[in-house]
Amino acid sequence: MKVKTTIVALVACTIIGVHYSTLRAQSSRSVWDGVYTEEQAKQGQGLYNEKCSSCHGDTLMGGESAPALAGGEFLSNWNGLTLGDLFERIRTTMPQNRPGSVARPANAQILAYMLSANQFPAGKTELSQQTEVLKEIKIDAQKPNPK
Amino acid sequence: MHQSSIQRPAISFLAGVAAAVALIWITPASGQTRAKSDEWPSYNADLAGSRYRPLDQINASNFGKLEVAWRFKTDSIGNRPEYKLEGTPLMVNGVVYATAGSRRAAVALDAGTGELLWVHGEHEGERGASAPRQLSGRGLAYWTDGKEERIFYITPGFRLIGLDAKTGALIPSFGKGGVVDLKLDDDQTISAWNDKGEWVPDLVHGEIGIQSAPVVAKDTILVGAAFREGMTPKSMRNNKGFARGFDARTGKRLWIFHTIPMKGEYGYDTWENGSADYTGNTGVWSQITVDEQLGLVYLPVESPTGDYYGGHRPGNNLFGESLVAVDLKTGQRKWHYQLVHHPLWDMDISSAPLLADINVDGKPVKAVAVPTKQGFLYVFDRVTGKPVWPIEERPVEKGNVPGEWYSPTQPFPTKPPAYSRNGVTPDVLIDFTPELHDQALTNVSKFKIGPVFTPPAESNVNGPYSTLTLGTAAGGTNWPGGSYDPETHNVYVFACNACLVPIGVVPAPKEVSDMKYVMGMAGQKVQIARGPGENAGADSPRASRAPAAPAAPPPAAERGPNIYALLGVKGLPLIKPPYGTISAINLDKGEILWQAAHGDTPDSIRNNPALKGLNIPKTGQSDYNVGTLVTKTLVIAGDGQITTTPEHPRGAMLRAYDKSTGQQVGAVWMPAPQTGSPMTYMLNGKQYIIVAVSGGAYSGEYIAFSLPGAE
Repeated sequence: MKVKTTIVALVACTIIGVHYSTLRAQSSRSVWDGVYTEEQAKQGQGLYNEKCSSCHGDTLMGGESAPALAGGEFLSNWNGLTLGDLFERIRTTMPQNRPGSVARPANAQILAYMLSANQFPAGKTELSQQTEVLKEIKIDAQKPNPK
Repeated sequence: MHQSSIQRPAISFLAGVAAAVALIWITPASGQTRAKSDEWPSYNADLAGSRYRPLDQINASNFGKLEVAWRFKTDSIGNRPEYKLEGTPLMVNGVVYATAGSRRAAVALDAGTGELLWVHGEHEGERGASAPRQLSGRGLAYWTDGKEERIFYITPGFRLIGLDAKTGALIPSFGKGGVVDLKLDDDQTISAWNDKGEWVPDLVHGEIGIQSAPVVAKDTILVGAAFREGMTPKSMRNNKGFARGFDARTGKRLWIFHTIPMKGEYGYDTWENGSADYTGNTGVWSQITVDEQLGLVYLPVESPTGDYYGGHRPGNNLFGESLVAVDLKTGQRKWHYQLVHHPLWDMDISSAPLLADINVDGKPVKAVAVPTKQGFLYVFDRVTGKPVWPIEERPVEKGNVPGEWYSPTQPFPTKPPAYSRNGVTPDVLIDFTPELHDQALTNVSKFKIGPVFTPPAESNVNGPYSTLTLGTAAGGTNWPGGSYDPETHNVYVFACNACLVPIGVVPAPKEVSDMKYVMGMAGQKVQIARGPGENAGADSPRASRAPAAPAAPPPAAERGPNIYALLGVKGLPLIKPPYGTISAINLDKGEILWQAAHGDTPDSIRNNPALKGLNIPKTGQSDYNVGTLVTKTLVIAGDGQITTTPEHPRGAMLRAYDKSTGQQVGAVWMPAPQTGSPMTYMLNGKQYIIVAVSGGAYSGEYIAFSLPGAE
């Protein structure tokens, strides 16, 4: 009985440990880790041109009353926050003429396009449309040194 | 005519007992004559526009030790958070009053703790949703006759609200049940275009509103008007932005001043072909200043309809972009001075006039000084309107946009010198290295450039794409204006020194406008310019989330040249630093005493590989939301951008400068940039500074700072 309990406890610890390390790995992900696909960014470009470019410019460089969505000032402003923060800002307040009218999958595609325009690498996994998942991906303006 | 669609009754409740009146003050004869130096009873501290309080508990020795005393998050004041909080609160009798949230409600907070005492919001339905100036606005006005205390503010839907300052309840005897409909009694019928393309009376959709705070002087509430962004107007016809005075007791209209003269009135002939009859806008959207002793109101008037094209309004267009002094009791014009003839650059008059009692060549002068987008500080004798130093009419370049009317001259102040850049010439281009400068010269070669008042270009795909300007729509000094220090006779004012605005016009497509030309880039679809906050207020419907069908990216050839990509070089601004400055300008001499680069060097410049190995002095930041506060010893203003530096984590700094030298003497961290100008007050022996912050992922918040110590 005692042995059995120990085994259960060990298994539980292992499961918790694995889960914990997975969480740790997730929280250390950044925009440099290939967090979107090229296809997603391509779809996002079409949506961007339709929904966003009238204010933010057709190459995301900003316009008369809208900030740039690519480049140094944009990245300075969002550096240290997460893709979840950026996703929520877009999802709930944009586009300005119909805030909240763009669905989550389309917003994720637009965000993927913004990542691509900011020269962050594409990867094999699609960018999530779940805010909580995106909150685990950090926006680092500077490329980290290879370990 | 549609009726005003107030869908739900106003919400108003007493959330707590109003703070105990801890301060003793003498009953004034009428509203606004009180001048307690430890309170902040008006948006700009006082009716003179000073943003000055002679407080010194917070000073150079301790500014860096400031702590957050309390904070007030505005997310729940409306049905969605707001990311553009521009307010400056008031503080009277231990209570802080402010507008807040996407609802633009009025709130009362305990000045010592930030506890919510009451909140009053108005649900305006379609009228609020179609308002040209939504979101929380810049503030409100306080009035007392020694017995009653009232708070006045203006809703997005352009209704003047009168509240009991103690409870937040509507005042039944003011207007109709506490409300004055500002779309009525305006010497015009507020109208809008209907589905058939007819201009018809329409109080719901008729374009007019305001975001600035009303002002109360001697029992008269002063109200201006604002409109949508004017770069791509739907029509040459629009509602007019007349200025008015209302009785603070009853809400009755006392007077009106026609910022566009009516037939037979002075200035009507400065609108050729009867264009005064249909041209609109020309409102007073910035803060109004008052000299109660002289009984004069100083109105800073904006541009007429069509920011960048005036072919439908030939003539000088009085009182567009003029400073107008009118009688406080009657609204009669006493004097005026047009700062820009036939406006074509969206210079407006963007800042509150500053009243200054100065000494010039040994003679006392009651002056008024006006900071502007174009970086000139215009200084007048405020009794007569005569310039304190000569303002010369100088010839300016005539443009060649078909149908446009050009003024052959424009006024140039001879003193003080321009305090920020107001033209684009090769000497203001980036010059960290010769290569960067050469690239900048190549980039601007596709534009028309020149000094202040270089006319807008008709856009051409082969060039010029547009006229590249500084000191126009963005400024220079925009809506936050400056401060005036009555001790030193100095104006302190922030200005953007690198806010580039390309101004090009294209023939207007019929579906966009009945104007001949509107802002645009040749080869590109004309985009309707929208102001910040449009459709973002609490009355705007929350859109249903229909999945959008992906659209194919248009071929590059159809998109035309991307001019914004040319406004930078290798991730660096096209214009050289300093990108933003605070200037101290002495009004006795008409001289700039000092200029300080304001704001951390942006990350994108500090970390830019193209600048590796170079020693770049502090650059300051490009921004147009930065307002200043001046105290006994300090000038205080926050950064307009987020930075992450070796000295501080991700955030923006609230900075203090020695007001006599411009040296930074302290800084305190904030989680987001300053978006509303700081104010200060004393309560129970403790000095507080409140500043509004917001932007990016950070929703609007008022933060109150004070020094650590025993309560």
